[in-house]
Amino acid sequence: MKKLFLLILTFCFSLTGFAQDKGSVLIKDGTLITIANGNMSNTDLLIEDGLITEIGEDISAPRGVETVDASGKYVMPGIIDAHSHIAGVDINEWTNPVTAEVSMEESINPNDINIYWALAGGVTSIHLMHGSANVIGGQNETLKLRYGSGMNEMRFEGAPRTIKFALGENPTRVHGQGFDVQPRTRMGVEQVIRDHFDAAIDYQRNRQEYLDAKQSYEDGTRSTPPVPVAKNERLEVLVDILEGEVLVHTHSYRADEITMLMRVFNDYGIEDYTFQHANEAFKVAPELKKNGAYTSVFADWWAYKFEVYYSTAYNASILNANGVKNSINSDSGELIRHLNHEASKAVHYGNTSKQDALKMITINPAVQLGIDERVGTLEVGKHGDVAIWDGHPLSIYSKTLKTYVDGKKYFDRAEDADDMRLKVDAEQDFDEASGRWYNENGRHSETCLRGAEIRFSKNGMKLQGN
Amino acid sequence: MKKTARLIVFCFAFLMVCSLQGWSQSSPAEALKNVTIHTSDGNSIEGGTIVWRNGVITDVGKNVDIPFDAYVRDGGDSLHVYPGFIDGHALWGSPDIDEDVETPEEPGNPGYGRAGIQPERKPSELLQADSKALSEAPKEGFSTAALGLKGQMLPGQVDLFFINGKETEYLLFEQGVGVTAQFEEAQGQAYPSTTMGIMSQLRQLFNDAKALQQQEQYFASVSSNYPAPKQNKVLQALYPVMDKQQPFYFVVDTEENIERIFQLQEELGFEVVIVSGKEAYKKAEELKQREIPVLASIELPEEPKWRSEEEDEDHPEITEEMRIFRDKQEAAYKADIQNIAKLIDNGVKVGFASNGLELSDINKNLTTLKEEGDLEDEDILRMLTQSTANILGYSNQLGNIDEGRIASFTVFTKPFMEEKAQALYSITDGNLTEFEQESSEE
Repeated sequence: MKKLFLLILTFCFSLTGFAQDKGSVLIKDGTLITIANGNMSNTDLLIEDGLITEIGEDISAPRGVETVDASGKYVMPGIIDAHSHIAGVDINEWTNPVTAEVSMEESINPNDINIYWALAGGVTSIHLMHGSANVIGGQNETLKLRYGSGMNEMRFEGAPRTIKFALGENPTRVHGQGFDVQPRTRMGVEQVIRDHFDAAIDYQRNRQEYLDAKQSYEDGTRSTPPVPVAKNERLEVLVDILEGEVLVHTHSYRADEITMLMRVFNDYGIEDYTFQHANEAFKVAPELKKNGAYTSVFADWWAYKFEVYYSTAYNASILNANGVKNSINSDSGELIRHLNHEASKAVHYGNTSKQDALKMITINPAVQLGIDERVGTLEVGKHGDVAIWDGHPLSIYSKTLKTYVDGKKYFDRAEDADDMRLKVDAEQDFDEASGRWYNENGRHSETCLRGAEIRFSKNGMKLQGN
Repeated sequence: MKKTARLIVFCFAFLMVCSLQGWSQSSPAEALKNVTIHTSDGNSIEGGTIVWRNGVITDVGKNVDIPFDAYVRDGGDSLHVYPGFIDGHALWGSPDIDEDVETPEEPGNPGYGRAGIQPERKPSELLQADSKALSEAPKEGFSTAALGLKGQMLPGQVDLFFINGKETEYLLFEQGVGVTAQFEEAQGQAYPSTTMGIMSQLRQLFNDAKALQQQEQYFASVSSNYPAPKQNKVLQALYPVMDKQQPFYFVVDTEENIERIFQLQEELGFEVVIVSGKEAYKKAEELKQREIPVLASIELPEEPKWRSEEEDEDHPEITEEMRIFRDKQEAAYKADIQNIAKLIDNGVKVGFASNGLELSDINKNLTTLKEEGDLEDEDILRMLTQSTANILGYSNQLGNIDEGRIASFTVFTKPFMEEKAQALYSITDGNLTEFEQESSEE
């Protein structure tokens, strides 16, 4: 009997091994929160082979396509979290103020149980970000939550490259105070960015001159061989930023540093960027709008260090009212489970419309990640990344019932088993394995200083490296 | 007067022996007769004889003519002889890692050594010959080992040695069979501190090595007016890997880290042998396709306690949730133990690497592999001998008891997997060492 069970279990797992497969489903008679075209009641949504192919009434299911009854339920695009650190192996390569060469693409943990818990909150895509220990941190990776697939299959195909910058206390503490290297101050942070951009420009010229000379020497049009200029992994990425190939997402809090970075980016011609956290962004909302900058903020999380004391729950609403494209993110393995609640706070505090609040967890983060043509709304041609809710998603009482990525179901509350771990450690005991970290730590884990936590103790600040 | 006479006789005898050796132009043969010979293919010859001379096996079989000059040992019909086991990546005799490190002035630029980038280090130059493992390994049946060094991302080269206690330092067989690599961060506060950092660093090292190699070639090709390249032992030690003359011996366990190696291999184009590979079975098909062999670890998980205990005191009642947990744990435990069998079934070349595993755990874990890991005696023997020899590139010299092979084998009191089997003699590259017998408690 046990063997039979194991056999079935193995079969299930071997199926999930092909989880990147796309699926088809007809969701009938639900209230569609399309984001693009308002709400549509009693409407059907057909997903075929991973894409939304039809939205309307009385759609009949093609042969072999499952029909799901959503009458009395809400159907909305999968939530997109523009700032997450779940599903990561390491988060911070925190040993240098600039580590543009490293990439979260190479730090994906596809077996993280937090992925499943995020799916249970209706999330379908995340921006797996490098941490905020460095002025120019590593590159981030946009993922689809294809729980049960592999490291490479988790990646959001075609999503643009993005990178993490960080201003203020984190980099000055880690590097200035911790290691006694630049930057120790906010002025130093700016200078580190400028110096590295300048170095990248020099490098690009030198490297190109070498490659050209090498070609000429090999063609016989040059008599002496050139001295090689090695390819530089770090500066290559900075060159790509300057050339607009990498979107910049900057950890920031204060209005002065936000303004500073916009000035720097204007000097270097960098255009597509988002300020993450940005607790004081409301102070410079018109300037953000003028520069075409985006923001991705917390609903109401602050006061965990000095630079986040001047904060307000009206931040998202003020930014929105000023025409700044804003998203609401989690930066936490706990908050990601109920980003709908976080969005509803903008309605509650700042009277933002429900539609705009929902945009802050769907199409707006999609724009910021450069994936808005693929996801973020319910429209024909977009990916079948949707969640079915038992009530309006902005209600505190609503729960996700089913979550689909590419038309394939990854979460179903009706089939939510006790143990959804993918990778099991043969030596881990039951008590350890069955615990949920957020019951003890609340939201303060799986966040952006993982691996380089700064703690205050009786002896003053202590840097805890891994 | 008596003393002088005795001295003269002694001198005369000594001269005779010396000159005799000179005439025959080779050392006397040795032979071991009346023993059970186990060959790496799992066959055995009862009442067999092995003859070797100058470190090479000259004859093996049941009816063998023993040369007139051979020193013959009689096994008395009860001893079992196995090809010397080969460890594909052992850390025996390696200097320990200095745990007491300071934070570099610039943690982001710690210098090669502090970052753990030391591909120029050679076990043959750093070997601690008095290390206990080197004298214990032959008692466990090992006569040959590819020795690596303890360290971080690039701890050093891999040198192939015959193993025989303190003598090992004079028994170097081949230097630089590969370069060890691993996803092991720099110690303390220094770059690289993450797996992604190690990947970037490896790419940068290849970039720098390529540039230096290019400059050396340019310098050699022109007569004047060109700056001399700066010598860099670290980067130069990577040339053979870059040029595919040496493989990386990449120590790696998880499925994702194996995928990371595939990625690096595609970009940088190196040959690779996987060392340890505890989850390698999950990538078996791709390993086969890429012709990447695995020098497998036999470090196994502890058996879940509830498997052997009648009743768990902490959890007297088994809830549904706990039952599901146990089923998953059981499956994970089995999968770990069946790693090697699954790799073999998928046609992946599998050898053996202790890579830090205690010698005293080897026999116990091999028994577990036999009992629960779907491996037969002959699979285990082949993995420890011929298969590892093949992966190291010595398929015709090492790994079996056969005519023409290097004379490396071990004489046990019983079949080696049996309880209380003890090694009596180890023959390493033709030289015999006798072990003191541990007293039996029977």
